[in-house]
Amino acid sequence: MVKTLLKKQFAEIFRNYFYDTKKNKARSKAGTVGYFIFFVLIMAVLLGGTFAATASSLCAPLYEAGAGWLYFAIMGVIAILLGIFGSVFSTYTGLYLAKDNDLLLSLPIPVSAIMLARLMGVYLMGLMYAAVVIVPAIIVYLITVPFSVPALIGCVVFLILLSVFVLTLSCLLGWVVAKLSTRLKNKSIVTVFVALLGIGVYYFAYFKAMNLIQDLIANIAVYGPAIREKAYGLYLFGSAAEGNWLGMAASTAFVALCFLLMWRLLGRSFLTLATATGSGEKIKYTARRAEQRSVPSALLAKEFAKLTSNANYMLNCALGTLLIPILGVALLVKGSAVAEVLFSVFGGIDPVAVLLCTALCMACSMNDCAAPSVSLEGKNIWIPQSLPVDPWQILRAKLRVQLLLTLPALLFASLCTVFVIKAPLALSLALLALPQLFTLFFALLSLTLDLKHANLSWTNELAPIKQSMPVTVALLGGWGYSVLLAALYLLLTPPFGAAVYLWVFAAITGIGCLILYLRLRRRGGNDFMEL
Amino acid sequence: MLRIEHLTKTFGDKVAVDDLSLHIAPGEIYGFIGHNGAGKTTTLRSVVGIQSFDSGEITIAGIPLRSDPLACKRQIAYIPDNPDLYEFMSGIKYLNFIADIFGVPSDVRSARIADYAARFELTADLAQPISAYSHGMKQKLAIISAWLHEPKLILMDEPFVGLDPKASFLLKGMMREHCDKGGAIFFSTHVLEVAEKLCDKVAIIKQGRLIRSGTMEEVKGDESLEEVFLELEAE
Repeated sequence: MVKTLLKKQFAEIFRNYFYDTKKNKARSKAGTVGYFIFFVLIMAVLLGGTFAATASSLCAPLYEAGAGWLYFAIMGVIAILLGIFGSVFSTYTGLYLAKDNDLLLSLPIPVSAIMLARLMGVYLMGLMYAAVVIVPAIIVYLITVPFSVPALIGCVVFLILLSVFVLTLSCLLGWVVAKLSTRLKNKSIVTVFVALLGIGVYYFAYFKAMNLIQDLIANIAVYGPAIREKAYGLYLFGSAAEGNWLGMAASTAFVALCFLLMWRLLGRSFLTLATATGSGEKIKYTARRAEQRSVPSALLAKEFAKLTSNANYMLNCALGTLLIPILGVALLVKGSAVAEVLFSVFGGIDPVAVLLCTALCMACSMNDCAAPSVSLEGKNIWIPQSLPVDPWQILRAKLRVQLLLTLPALLFASLCTVFVIKAPLALSLALLALPQLFTLFFALLSLTLDLKHANLSWTNELAPIKQSMPVTVALLGGWGYSVLLAALYLLLTPPFGAAVYLWVFAAITGIGCLILYLRLRRRGGNDFMEL
Repeated sequence: MLRIEHLTKTFGDKVAVDDLSLHIAPGEIYGFIGHNGAGKTTTLRSVVGIQSFDSGEITIAGIPLRSDPLACKRQIAYIPDNPDLYEFMSGIKYLNFIADIFGVPSDVRSARIADYAARFELTADLAQPISAYSHGMKQKLAIISAWLHEPKLILMDEPFVGLDPKASFLLKGMMREHCDKGGAIFFSTHVLEVAEKLCDKVAIIKQGRLIRSGTMEEVKGDESLEEVFLELEAE
């Protein structure tokens, strides 16, 4: 029973790797392998590389000071935070909102088997996030310290314990979110608010932690024994990875106990939460005269309604709307000091302007509402297809959501940048134009990709929002573009200056926009109707 | 009102609709019957313009579907076999959305929504999100949205599935009322008793081919529609 459910669960999670939804047939072996390699590279190189750098700076000094356990405790806490942060909302959606919950619950399957299968999906997500921190940490540790079998065993046990602990905490928080959702009216907005609060706390703690860690390394001889004495549990946890048998036994017992408690909690409430249909409070209808909207306005309102009704959609695809203006304000407040440092490091305004333009583009990459917008139509696709509306108008509404959420915020942040670095006119105009064209380009590109690779048969909305190719390309493509923008300038240091350099990029991006726009206008409608 | 000429649609090697021709005049309720997978839904979806077809011509109110699909869609309303509506909207928001798309003026839509929602006893639930609706309520909402812009031709795929007896009775009355005003209705059903009592004309489709069509008398003669259908299926 559980085996069958797990097969179904894994088939769903990895469907995109094995199955081409556009062609409605299984991928070739090469295609599947290529997809896996692409994914592993993203996780290993981009995220893993970042944490490998952190691990490298911590490992040797802490180990040499006899506080290897503290190294693992710090990396473990980072892994737990990242794991929870990355999987808590997926946990809620995956456990309680899966579209096939009703179907499975109607079959003669024990609830515990359904839960177990669902939890495996959550576990994999948590494991993935925890592993990108802890695997580089383990590799760095094993390279830095002399090899020992207990340490190797400890590292493996540590990874398993961490992943189960992340699962436990994610499930606990997912349960809290589910509980709140049954009581709240504007739950998507509240969820986004809570998530943003979480992000704020995460980054605050992260920056504070960095200072703390530096202080720790400098004074490890004093702090190490003190922490060990006052937080013995943390010592046991960290020392487990170093091969301390007591640490392994105690940590295993603790994690197992937490997991069992979580399992019982979930078991008692799963059925109620998975079958809950809302707050239960009926909204009273009062007939009002509705203003007639134009077709474009009605379509735009529909797209915004879709976005604001869905916390996952907002958090994953529209976070830039808040973060871009924050970046602008941060530039106004701290920009002068930062600019002075950058001017002295890079020796002039030009490289600083390119780097800040890169930062603006990267921030824009966080808004990619257009990328899953076609796939999110799902089974409702018949509605827009049957309406007397030019399909281009439907696609344009999807584009507009992303542009309206990004361009004004971006203009503000660009103006802040121009003001802070006191850029001359040509450079100022380039700083204003390029990020705007960048936004337009990636909105057009991701919409085009979603049209070509639409997944309309999802059972969990996270599939198009988080795990689809268009979203990956929009996010990582945006980062790649941004890195290329900075790297090329720093490598080539073109003699014609940053303004011309940025305008060249703007021109190329503009041509890209034109090509994509013309393609969407010419073939997008057909592609949409053929879905 | 609706002319389908030599419609053919294939999915890979499978011929879903094979050289099908049908004419539906204003004022007619036209029933479309056939076993599961006979090609009913494919035909309806082709007429609505949400599925391309390989060959043939479809004309709605004199307008060719291929050359002017938007003009055709302005004349029609479609209710699919499974009312998958926008669950992130409330009932009233969905109706206003459809009214906006079809350009129904504010005062007209208000009156129609009030009227149809009252008929289907859905008024009190209009502010609820569609995600909280039962299958029957969604079906009622889909019916109201179809009638809201007074289309000339209404296409329905199994419209009675999920409706309670009162709503089914009401829908039959609304279908007749619509056709009496000069509109036309083309719908598929497995409920042969309903088709027999309600339809002016009926078409029977088998493996994508139209095997019999015409007025109810022409199709069934002295037998019941059920007997005729089963005989034709057995052939």
